[in-house]
Order: sequence, then C-alpha cells, then structure tokens
Amino acid sequence: MAVAGRGAPRLGGVSLVIRPGERVALLGPSGAGKSTLLAVANGLLPPSAGQVLWQGQPPARSGRARRRQQARIGTLWQDLCLIEELSVQQNLNAGRLAAWGWPKALLNLLLPLETAANAEALRQVDLAPQLLAQPVAALSGGQRQRLAIARLLRQNPTLLLADEPLASLDPRLAAALLALLLAQAAAPRALLLSLHRPDLLAGFDRVIGLRAGRLLFDRPAAALAPGAGTALLAELYRSGG
Amino acid sequence: MSARLWKRPAAALRPAPPLLLLLPALVLLPLLAVLPFQLHGGGLELLGQFAWAALTPCLDPLVLGSALRGLATTVGMALLGWAASLVLGLALGLASSRTIWRSCCGCDWPAGLLRRLLAVPRAIHELLWGLLLLQLVGLQPVVAVVAIALPFGALVARVVSDLIDALDRRRLNALLSAGAPAPSALLTALGPPLLPGLLSYGGYRLECALRSATLLGVFGLGGLGTELKLTLQSLQFDELWTGLWLLLAVMLALETGLGWLRRRWLMPSRLALGQGSVGRRGREMLLVLAGLLPLAAGVGWALGVDPRALLAWQALPLAGLGQGAALQQLLALPWAALIGGTLGLTLLAAALAVGLPPLLLLLCAPWPPLRWLLRFSWLLGRLWPPPLTALLLLLLLQPGLVCAALALGLHNAGILGRLLAEGLADASPALERALAAAGVGPRLALLYGRYPAIARPYLAYGAYRADVLLRETVVVGLVGATGLGSQLLESLSSFAWEQLLALVAVYALLTLAGEELSDRLRRRLLAPH
Repeated sequence: MAVAGRGAPRLGGVSLVIRPGERVALLGPSGAGKSTLLAVANGLLPPSAGQVLWQGQPPARSGRARRRQQARIGTLWQDLCLIEELSVQQNLNAGRLAAWGWPKALLNLLLPLETAANAEALRQVDLAPQLLAQPVAALSGGQRQRLAIARLLRQNPTLLLADEPLASLDPRLAAALLALLLAQAAAPRALLLSLHRPDLLAGFDRVIGLRAGRLLFDRPAAALAPGAGTALLAELYRSGG
Repeated sequence: MSARLWKRPAAALRPAPPLLLLLPALVLLPLLAVLPFQLHGGGLELLGQFAWAALTPCLDPLVLGSALRGLATTVGMALLGWAASLVLGLALGLASSRTIWRSCCGCDWPAGLLRRLLAVPRAIHELLWGLLLLQLVGLQPVVAVVAIALPFGALVARVVSDLIDALDRRRLNALLSAGAPAPSALLTALGPPLLPGLLSYGGYRLECALRSATLLGVFGLGGLGTELKLTLQSLQFDELWTGLWLLLAVMLALETGLGWLRRRWLMPSRLALGQGSVGRRGREMLLVLAGLLPLAAGVGWALGVDPRALLAWQALPLAGLGQGAALQQLLALPWAALIGGTLGLTLLAAALAVGLPPLLLLLCAPWPPLRWLLRFSWLLGRLWPPPLTALLLLLLLQPGLVCAALALGLHNAGILGRLLAEGLADASPALERALAAAGVGPRLALLYGRYPAIARPYLAYGAYRADVLLRETVVVGLVGATGLGSQLLESLSSFAWEQLLALVAVYALLTLAGEELSDRLRRRLLAPH
C-alpha cells in the first residue's frame, strides 16, 4: 500500500504482514514514515493505494462494524492522550468505551466502575491500586506512561501499536517500559513498535527498516544483533537522499 | 449546591467535568413533563404559515425599502450607542482602576467607591433605561442611543478596570521609579497589553449592541425591531421574514468580520479570557479606532440624534411616598411572588441556555450536516429578539413562565452555542482522534475527548450568562406572569410611577445580588484543582 503526500509520497509500496504473537520493531530515521505507517495500521489514515487487511478482511463498510475492528487495535500514543480532567479510574475505563453503551459511559463520569479490573490493570504495570481515585494531573511522568499502557490493557486489543513510546524517557525507564510492553505481547496479541534505539531490539522477533517511505529491510531480530546488523543499520541511517 | 459536592473527595457522587456540562440539560425533563399541559392547538396553522414564509419572504420594493431603512436605523443606533459606551466605559474604567489611583494619588478608595456606584447603571437593563428615558424626554432618536450607552458603558468600565488591575505592575513601577510622570508611564506600561483585550471585548459588545437596538425597536423605539413587531402582530409573515433575513445577513457579516479581525490581531478568545499583546498590528488597531469617530459623527447626523433633546426633560408626576395611598399601593404588590417568579424564570432559562448546546451538539455529533444546521439555528436564536419568540410561542403555548423561559433560554442558547463551538474548535483534536482510533463512536469520543477540557470555562461563562439573564427577564415580561418583568410593564402602561420606580429599584438590588453570586460561582469553577 502507499500514502500520498505533498511532493514525495509519505509511504510507497510498503507490503507487510504481522502475525499473532509477533513482536515487531519499526526502525528508521525521522521522517521515514514510521508514524504514517502506524496511522494506517490503526485505521486513522486510509491508504491512497493498496489495501489494509485485518484478519484477512478489508475494513468494514458500516461504521459500527468498523469500530468493532478498530477496538481490537490499541495504540500507545507518543503524547499518551490521557484525559487530564478525569481520574485514573475514569481514564482506565475510557479504554472500555468502545465496548460500553451510553449508560455505562455516563455512569463512569459519576461513580467508580469496575474497580477490581482497573486495580488488576494497574498491578500489571506495577502501579499501586491506591492511585485509582487520583486525578491524572497528579501523576509523575513515569506513572503516566504506565497508566497509558494499563488503559491499553483494559481495551484488550489483539494488535498493540506504539509510536516511539521510549523517546522521552531516561535509559532505565525506557528499558523497564519496553519490557512491560513486550511482556504484554504474547500470542494471540501482536506488537508493532517504532523506536530510535537499535540497542533495544533484544526482545523482538522481527525488525523492519523504513527509509524515505520505503521498506528497506524486514529481517528476524537476530540478523540485527550487535555485530551482525551493523551494515544494515548504517544503510538505514546513512545521511543524504 | 453541587459545587460543594465536588470539593469534598469523600463524597460518593462526584460528576466529572464532561458530565457537569450535561447536567443543566436535566431541566428539560420537568419542562417536557409540563409542556403538554401548556399546549393549545390554536396557532398551529399560523405557525405553519410562519415557517413557510421563511422560504417565501416578500420581495416587494416598497417592503424591502422600508425594511432596509429600518435596518439602517437599527444599525446606526447600535453603532452610536456602542461608540458612546466605549468612550464612557474607557473614561469610567480608568477612573475606577485601583492601579491608576494608586500611581497618581497614592490612595485607591475612590476607585472602590466608583466601582460600587457603577454597579447601579449596570444592574438596569437597557430596555428599562429606554422605557424610563422615553417617559422623561419623549420619543427621540437619542433615547435608544443613551439607553444602550449607559448600561454598556458601565459594563465596559468594569472590564477595563479589571483588565488594568490584573496587569503586571512591574513595568509600571519600573517606569515610575525612573522618574517618568504618572500619566505617560501609565500609557506606556498599560496601553499595549490592554488594547487587544479591550478591542476583543469591544467587538463583542458591538454584536450585543445590535441585538439590543433591535430589541429596543420591538418596544417602540424605532428601527427594524418596530417593523418586525408590527408585521408579526398583523400576521404578515412574508414581510416579517424580509426584515429577518436582512438582519441575519448583517449579523452574520458583523460576526464574520469581527472574527476575522480577532484572528488577524491574535486576540484572546472569550473562553480563554487570557491576555494577548499588541505586536505588529498596534498601528492598525489605533487607525481603526480613530476611523470610528468620524463614522459615528456621520451616523449621528444622518439619524438626527441630538443630545440636546436630553436637556428638555419632564419630571415624572410622582405623588410622593409620604402620602399613604401610594405607599399602600406599593405594599399591596405581591413582592414575594414577583421576586420568586423572576428567579424561577432566570434559573429555568439559564439551565436551558447552558444545557441545550452541549447536549444537542453531542446528539448531532455523527452527522456533519446536522452540526451545520445546529450552528445556523444558534445564529437564528441569538439574532431573534426574545419578545418576538415569546409572541410566536404564544401561538402554541399558554402565556406564562414556561413560554417566557423558552423564549429567553433559546435566545441565550444561541449565544452560548456559538461560544461552545468556538471553544471546541480552538481545543486540540488529538484526544478525540485517539478515542476514535480505538473504535469509540463519535458521540462518546466527543464527550470524553473534547468536553473535559472545555467544561469548566464553559460553565463559568454560563454562570456569567445567568447573571445577564436575570437582568434580561424584563424583556419577556409581555407574556405575563413572569414576576417583576411583567409587573413592571404593567405599571408602566398604567402610569403607576411610584410602583415603577420601586420595581426598578428591587430589580437592580436583585441583579446586584445575582452578580455577586455568579461571580463567586465563576471563581470557584475556574480555580485550579
């Protein structure tokens, strides 16, 4: 599939299959089209050519069926997209909105709902359940990252997408967060994560290199292990056109 | 009330901001419950004719010409009243600023005193000023202009003094301690940061002045409003719509033009209530302001506005309260019911005005054409004078509180609806998009994605609007049983001057109390959490 852009296409001739249980890293210099690829994957951006198949099916035509498909795809946004004015509990429940009807969505703004499930989600990302009643604005940066992941767990997606989640974190936090994400991506769940750090590829099954909107390589992670993948990486990050 | 609930973390029920936004709409439940009993089928056919006439307005040159002349008069009155209120407001605002008194004289008690005095003209609606002046000096073009200028001037004065006193004093102090004379130091330090806020607010007041001038016309002070009322009463709906469509075009042009200027000059939006700065456009702003003076003079000459007419006033034939009969007459008025009715009407209309826009926007969220229709109906709502809506509703409803509340509520929903749309357009779409990408439907994505951030500023503005509504209840007094407003119009038409003055005084006191209350509510809503 391809995505047109002003002048050069943002993505051109990218063909890619992600299978259940696969943990895929997306590498590439800034402007290579990583965010565009993720936007196509979560359905925000329809490709201008080619098609996206979800479990062998094209995107549904009816709004409702399409939303059901999209609910199976969870995205960890770079700016996290937490709702600042709501509590931790309400933010976690926002992950269930696609599945909930109106009454529950409104009730969530009034009462603490599904406390046990939310506490469990917090435990999985090493946050204390006591945080549930806190407003999001009171959390630290690291806690917010974890909360965003916990909300994804509440959504319970089949495909996890993450757009440079490690970009603004110090090395220790980044490693911990990555471990957390990788641990969540056991079959049947798959993970597609874009990042800038070739040193953090250890837990992945596959690595995809994107450059100037084109697929440069699609290899098993072992091919990019320290030493073996130096040439590939040099090619990916070489300066100039 | 509910304000206390969300301060206390222990309270079990704590509506989150997006839910708070929807709570005022609960007023629809009791309203819909009583509405069937208020209906009478009498005017259904007429209402159909009215709706059809919207598509077939009268294009007869005679009617068109008369409507255009009326529109020109209304626009002229609005412009003059507005310009006068700006001059008045700027002068009084400077005179009631604590900062200015402190830097010029070293003390600030005169500022506080003047502020308190200015609350009185502000508390009396322009319609009341108009009707009082009409009794004092007769039907003169200058009456409408002064009626607009007085309360608007007092409002502008408050905003100006608030803006000045909220500015950073360090720059001013630096200039003063460097030996600059106080007036020039004030101008240099306070002028540039003050101008955008003042112009943004002033532009918004111009829209209000146009609405007010139309309203004054409905009560017989000339211009398009008078024509609208006459054509409505004689059921000439096609001629009514000729005037309405023209008014709509002018209002739309004005709002678009002012919006363009606001963006061009990077002015703070009304919900943000922040401060901008002049930047490169300062000279342009001053030029526009300077151009207003000759324009106002020309319009004044064309309309025959003569301030000297104000000098030839005639005192009201008051019997004097010393005489027992007049006092007894006053005490005989059912004060508790009058005040209760006014407050009830205010609350009902305010809940409608604040609650309808977010609810309807939410319901229309999945269909873009409906959203546009909604925006258009807000425009119609705010342009349409509430007493005319009330008269139209009388075709379907019994006269009374519900009819008046609907008329006032729909008009103000038009104002708040536009504000909500502007506020939402300024907010970041990222959150809503993220929710949509996770399969959340458009309505819930709006509720969770955009409403949380806008809720508090919107409700704070709603609190301010409720205070405006209290003052405005008088304009729908003509449908009867609405408390002070309808009693006031009745006293006026029976020349009971003592009653009239007493009613105006009570109205003013009520408005002052309401202002204090809404100020507190607003501060609480905007306080950091």
